[in-house]
Amino acid sequence: MRMRFGVIVLFVAAALAGCSDSSTQGGFAGLAQQVGEVDERTFLQPQPGDRLVFPRDWGPHPQHRIEWWYLTANLETPDGKLLGLQWTQFRQALQPRPLDREPPDPETWPLEAAWMAHGAVSFEGEHWFTEKLARGDMGHAGATAEPFRVWLDDWRLQAVPGSDEWRLQVAGEDWRYDLRLANTGGIVAHGDEGFSAKSASGEGSMYFSLVDLKIEGTVTLGDKTLEVSGTGWFDREWSSQFLKAGQQGWDWFALHLETGDKLMAFQLREDDSAFLSGSWINPQRDVESVTGDELTLTPARWRETQDGRVPEEWRLKIPAQDVDLTIKAPPGDYWNSGLYPYWESPVSVTGSHEGVGYMELTGYGP
Amino acid sequence: MMLVRAFISHYRRHPLQLAALALMIVLATMLWTGVTVLTDQARTSLFQSEQAVATRVHVVRTDAQPVGVDDFAQLRMAGVCVAPWLEIQRPPPEGRVIGIDPLAMGCFGEAAPGGNAGELDGAPFLDISEAAKLADDGYDSRLYLLTANGSVVLPEGYALRDFSLGPSTGELADSFLLNLDALSLLVLLITGLLVRSVHRLGIAQRQQSFDLLYRFGVPRERVRQFLALELVVLTGICVLPGLWLGAQLAGMLGGGFGQALDSLFDVTVYAGSAESLPWQAAGVMVVLVLAVCLVDWLLPRRWQTAAVSARGRLLAVAVLLFGLVGVALAPGLGWVFVGTALVFAGTGWLTPGLLALLARWLSDRTDGKASDPLTRWRRRELAVMFSHLALPVVALQFAMATVLAVQALVTTFEQTFDEWLAQRLEAEFYVEVPRGADAGLAAEHLQSLAGIGAWHRVIRGEARMTVDKGESVPVDLFALTPVSDLVAGWTLLASIDQPWRGLEQGGVMLNEQLARRRQLDVGDNLTVTIADSVISADIVAIYADYGRPAGEILVAGGALPESFRARFESFSVNPGDLDMADIREQLADVWSVPEVTVRDNASIRALASQVFGQTFLLTRAISLLTLVLAAIALLIMGWVFFTTRVWYFRLLGIWGLPARAIQRQLRRLSVTLTLAVTMAALPLGIWLTWVLVSRINPLAFGWSLPMDLYPLFWIELGLVAAVTGLVVAHLMRRQLVQRAGEAQGET
Repeated sequence: MRMRFGVIVLFVAAALAGCSDSSTQGGFAGLAQQVGEVDERTFLQPQPGDRLVFPRDWGPHPQHRIEWWYLTANLETPDGKLLGLQWTQFRQALQPRPLDREPPDPETWPLEAAWMAHGAVSFEGEHWFTEKLARGDMGHAGATAEPFRVWLDDWRLQAVPGSDEWRLQVAGEDWRYDLRLANTGGIVAHGDEGFSAKSASGEGSMYFSLVDLKIEGTVTLGDKTLEVSGTGWFDREWSSQFLKAGQQGWDWFALHLETGDKLMAFQLREDDSAFLSGSWINPQRDVESVTGDELTLTPARWRETQDGRVPEEWRLKIPAQDVDLTIKAPPGDYWNSGLYPYWESPVSVTGSHEGVGYMELTGYGP
Repeated sequence: MMLVRAFISHYRRHPLQLAALALMIVLATMLWTGVTVLTDQARTSLFQSEQAVATRVHVVRTDAQPVGVDDFAQLRMAGVCVAPWLEIQRPPPEGRVIGIDPLAMGCFGEAAPGGNAGELDGAPFLDISEAAKLADDGYDSRLYLLTANGSVVLPEGYALRDFSLGPSTGELADSFLLNLDALSLLVLLITGLLVRSVHRLGIAQRQQSFDLLYRFGVPRERVRQFLALELVVLTGICVLPGLWLGAQLAGMLGGGFGQALDSLFDVTVYAGSAESLPWQAAGVMVVLVLAVCLVDWLLPRRWQTAAVSARGRLLAVAVLLFGLVGVALAPGLGWVFVGTALVFAGTGWLTPGLLALLARWLSDRTDGKASDPLTRWRRRELAVMFSHLALPVVALQFAMATVLAVQALVTTFEQTFDEWLAQRLEAEFYVEVPRGADAGLAAEHLQSLAGIGAWHRVIRGEARMTVDKGESVPVDLFALTPVSDLVAGWTLLASIDQPWRGLEQGGVMLNEQLARRRQLDVGDNLTVTIADSVISADIVAIYADYGRPAGEILVAGGALPESFRARFESFSVNPGDLDMADIREQLADVWSVPEVTVRDNASIRALASQVFGQTFLLTRAISLLTLVLAAIALLIMGWVFFTTRVWYFRLLGIWGLPARAIQRQLRRLSVTLTLAVTMAALPLGIWLTWVLVSRINPLAFGWSLPMDLYPLFWIELGLVAAVTGLVVAHLMRRQLVQRAGEAQGET
């Protein structure tokens, strides 16, 4: 799951108000209230029983309020150094557009939707991050299902013609990467065949992943270009439901275990409780949903950073699967310091299983 | 321990002495902290203002077609950071609005064009979709694609052009900041004087205690060490609240200014208050307090006694004269500052003695009203007060002189800035001649338009001016044709009769910088090479050209040879009875281009004025703070002083003067004192104004500011002084009543 509601709403609200300060002032409660002013009924809301449809669902869903294309990758250089990498593109609609309605004329500089992209590289304790923003329907940001293509300015993820591969090209101020991605597995649908619950009262999102991405390419940091290869995890998720007042943030994990198993787990933190959920994906790619009763997620150690205190080490337990993991971020500072800062770091996994993965933490900091 | 107890015992018996010194250190720290913070803010604000109005770059198509949405998308997808800027011109009162895309601005980071645009409420910024609707309604619109300065790699078919949001304030801002720094130094000097005056008063009152300690066998050196320690502790304690109060005060003043000023195009240029306390100001204050209070021990004793001797006064006169001459003849800025310091030192040295001398002289006169014993007594008493209150009197004099100079400087700056803007933005609209277009065709067309207001064509380029020994130097060339009414507002520093006619008849005008640098004057003959022609012309006027260092000559357009190639051309146009949008379209037809760049000068002018406005307000706040502190110091000193003189004033009652009459005498005494200080401050203030505008600016930047005096403000300052005197009198009256009550209680 990629709960980017807050980020999206904040970036639109802040950018349109011309005042980026608001991004740091509003908590999730504030966000929810702010967003609540929009009539929720005008957007389509995923329901249990909704099903994934391909290739349509690779593309955008203008009837839904929010969605994202999200890649994290645990890569290695030829000399065995670990390198973490993230690319994400978000779409935030300010008003829904029925499928039978034509997109607005770019000459009117419409503001029916906004796009945001994040790119980051983590290597040897350092973290590079860049954020890009764009108005929707103008041509320089968007997504199409066929051919598959997601772009914002000169950042793009797109299917390579005549091949099953994708190509991802992203460039920050003093860093860039150019990667080829090959999906060696199938599509993993989370929750109820793609409908993933996000609260005890049943709200949720449509959510699927590619968990067997083989990645190769180059990463350039400053004047140094590295050959890299490794494994990626790609998420697609869309919804129209926002977080509720009282929810403080979330902790999300996507893990590649050496046994060939994959694990996605998250919790939404509230004042004195949390909503937990996850997916256990065995080497045959059978997906077993993990509910909050079957999963515990506990911070084990905290790290003091310039931007606040974050849990750097976690204990994750799923007794029914004999899973007892210690998940740890490498040394360094992995804040994505955009409009709404959050922590996004590669992790190592020890305990009942060994492995690597990615961790995303929001709602921490000063 | 005995010594510590003795020191504490003194303050237990005289707590007001301690309170006065502590209060003065707190207030002095507050003032200096406030000044430091406000000065920093002024500097940062100006820097941000400069950034906001600085020239940017926009992307144009090389096929001369206007850029559109497709170009925007194409450039962004090519990795070029461009942001749309859609200008909509509406008839008054709505005027111009600018549509921007805050999301597209993201790629600029902190350097977004227009700075932080604030609310998108149409004043003047609004979301570009709203602006697009206005354009769709038929209002005149123009889309620009702004990009960052610096190296931008563009796809084929695009090129960069300058895009100016407003005129650069250039050296005018530098000049203002330099003067602000000089002002801060003066404030520090005044602050030091005030602290020293209160400290010395306390030491004088404790002299008997020190003598007693000496007789008990405590070495004088030991007493001094304890005094120094006492001062360190007291300063350490008092600077903290002073620091906090100063930051609060600056925040309050600054916040008020920030709200009061909408600033340029709603661009946030006010730097805001510092997030943390300016600890360096505390360090400066500790050093200052220790230095001014303990300096007596560092100077040989004979120097101190010599200071008030006749020889000392002669030396003071010499210092003063040396300073005055030094400032007048100084070849460089450093000498001006040294000379100014000498003038202040000499003035401060002499003023109390001269005032006392004057009071004594008046008292000794026996003619007319002066023979009245009470008048003579009052003048004698005044002479005593000038001697005893020398330091606060001088501090008040300096503070008032500073306030006078700052007021004159700020007002002059404002007027100058208005004139400077009027000179550059004299017309309502400014039309840029497209590259390669024939400006002559447009001039013919404008000439043929019935109902059009004043207009002229501006041509800029380079020329060479022949100087001594046949050598020639490059100068900026500025030509106008026709010479219209738009130049009526120009500030000419020197000119022949009817200078503009002289220009049309082949004369040449120079800017002040060039005239000063080459020591040229009206009537001198100049040889100028323009392109391949050599022109010999008389100088018909020297015009003020604030804000830039370059030398420039102005000729009539008709004087330019055929072979001259302009670097830049534009038209300044008042549309008169016509609509500017129509004129713009007609010019586009004349030049056969799809779009013509037209800028609304009124907006630019408003923008630039607001930028400076806030800095002027900050400066006024600094001088006001200084005056307030000086007045408070005088109140404290007057209060303490009169406490020691109460027994003497009571004698007036014993001699039979009614209480009401005594109070009247005290009132006259104190008001005369403060007004005399004001009078003494006037010449110093006027001189300081002259130094700032006529010495520092020309030496630093090559151009002077006009020297203006504002007698109305002198009267205002006199009123402030009179009120201060009345408050001192009120305090004296309370002292008298209190002491009289105590005396009755004792009997």
